[in-house]
Amino acid sequence: MDKMNLILQSLFCCCLLTTVLPSVDSAKLNLSQVFKKSAWLQSRTRRDLNSLSALSEAETASFVRPEDVKDSMIPHSSTDISIRVKRSKNFVNQSRKPGCLLGTCTVHDLAHRIHLYDRQSKTGSAPADKISAQGYGRRRRSLPERQLNLQWEGNRLRPVWISTSSRLHRLEALLKRT
Amino acid sequence: MDWTLVVSLVFLGCAAEVTVFASPDANETQSHQPQNVYHDITVTRNKIVTAQFECYQKIMKGTNHFTKAGPVCNRTWDGWLCWDDTEPGVVSQQHCPDYFQDFDPTELVSKICTASGQWFMHPDSNRTWTNYTRCNEHTNEGRMTAMNLFYLALIGHGLSLTSLFISLAIFFHFKSLSCQRITLHKNLFFSFVLNSIITIIWLTAVANNQELVQRNPTGCKVSQFIHLYLFGCNYFWMLCEGIYLHTLIVVAVFAEKQHLMWYYLLGWGFPLIPATIHAIARSYYYNDNCWISSNTSLLYIIHGPICAALLVNLFFLLNIVRVLITKLKVTHQAESSLYMKAVRATLILVPLLGIQYVLLPYKPEGRVSSEIYDYIMHILMHYQGLLVATIFCFFNGEVQGVLRRHWNQYRIQFGSTLAHSDALRSASYTASSITEVQGCYSIDSHTEHLNGKSCHDLDASILKSENTYA
Repeated sequence: MDKMNLILQSLFCCCLLTTVLPSVDSAKLNLSQVFKKSAWLQSRTRRDLNSLSALSEAETASFVRPEDVKDSMIPHSSTDISIRVKRSKNFVNQSRKPGCLLGTCTVHDLAHRIHLYDRQSKTGSAPADKISAQGYGRRRRSLPERQLNLQWEGNRLRPVWISTSSRLHRLEALLKRT
Repeated sequence: MDWTLVVSLVFLGCAAEVTVFASPDANETQSHQPQNVYHDITVTRNKIVTAQFECYQKIMKGTNHFTKAGPVCNRTWDGWLCWDDTEPGVVSQQHCPDYFQDFDPTELVSKICTASGQWFMHPDSNRTWTNYTRCNEHTNEGRMTAMNLFYLALIGHGLSLTSLFISLAIFFHFKSLSCQRITLHKNLFFSFVLNSIITIIWLTAVANNQELVQRNPTGCKVSQFIHLYLFGCNYFWMLCEGIYLHTLIVVAVFAEKQHLMWYYLLGWGFPLIPATIHAIARSYYYNDNCWISSNTSLLYIIHGPICAALLVNLFFLLNIVRVLITKLKVTHQAESSLYMKAVRATLILVPLLGIQYVLLPYKPEGRVSSEIYDYIMHILMHYQGLLVATIFCFFNGEVQGVLRRHWNQYRIQFGSTLAHSDALRSASYTASSITEVQGCYSIDSHTEHLNGKSCHDLDASILKSENTYA
């Protein structure tokens, strides 16, 4: 009787330990992500976001892509163009999604997959024409030749046609210089 | 005394866990946003625009890091992704973007820099082209697999429920069967039933119901909590079966009647702890709609203890088989039949103790191998109830004996046209089945006999069921 109690108690201890251990692990992970991401957010807010001011802070936070998180590990994220070799080193880590990989987790995985495919059938398939031969990969988007702009003249608005080609040339020159 | 010890341990564990989780809480909230934003056209467009903006910023700010002369494919924005300067003859690769639901972010996009230092032109259109075809290549196959697994799961749980209900009815109806082992079986079966019901509800009513998940009512989070709790209960009752058998066969040679209170506590009580911790942690750190996402490591809070329970069961199984072999050797049986018996006992105990999950612990990496793994795992998981009910109720010698006896009694009572010889035969059946049933009684009430009968006891608990279909 005593022996059995002892066994049961030690089992309780084991179970508790295993409950605590993975959470300690994930807490560590979370903590390190906090540091990385706060650094990333700072560098991000420093940038000039005039043209995208419509996007709220919450939305930008949800646009965190794996690449961004990886980039922010390097101290100066704005000059991260020279770390291509490093990025390929991070490749394998990136492809591993977070989540439970144990055999017993397959049931949650199935529920999640059914949910995703159900959602996918209603919204959000990629446009096939952009993947095809006619699709993405061109150098630049084509801009309209002229644009209608509103300008203040004295105290009234006046529509003005502005040729975009000059702006385009300026951008191209900039790109060539870099 | 024991009670207070266990309870204090439990609380200690909870406290430790809560503090561990509370520490990074302060500046966590804004950074770890789960994806509960529903992807529609505007979100996708915003993502692309943001990526484009950052790409152009990068292009303009970036310095030319190729010092050596020669042609280089210039950095570019291709419409979806940003590409760095690339040396000629190199295939640049990136992971697929997450703009669209049918893009798999683990797949790769490739862009070829030709030897002349130009980006690859597609021969059909003669335009610069990036290969995005792999991003949604396997989406339809994946959907097919998911639907197959879904129906497989529903059929499995349906069959399991039917067989488990019949088994439970048999166990509850025939009072002569009741003994500690059967009581444990009843609890295990009951946990299987509840788990099957909640799994069916979860898969059909929540996972398959877009509107509900989007509405995100509290009820669906509660049902996920119940789902995880009952899921845990199921595996902890397997652990209880393991502990009981192990105590009966290996530890308690001088057996007393075991106290089932501990088993109830472990089977129904303990899984509440991980389920509660998971619910708290999930609401703080990954509060997605209906908690349906499986892309979070928080699920290890549930599955860590389950895995530990299964490992303990594996140890019990090995120990039981060891004892079985040594005890059978004492009875000087032929080697071959001895090992056959051992193997049979092992095979019978594997589904009862859930050892199959330990044998295939991790999901493999590759696409095909993970698909095969998925099928195996889902078949094992959703049909386990059926298997356990079949082996431990329908193929069980005691149960068959009792059923046969009652069937014959019924025939004698109502079949007045029966011939005399038939009645005689049925009477003899009855006698034989009563002796069979005594195996169970002996474990329960005549504990003093067990001292010298441990081997018989062993046979009663394990080999009884297999003898019947041998």
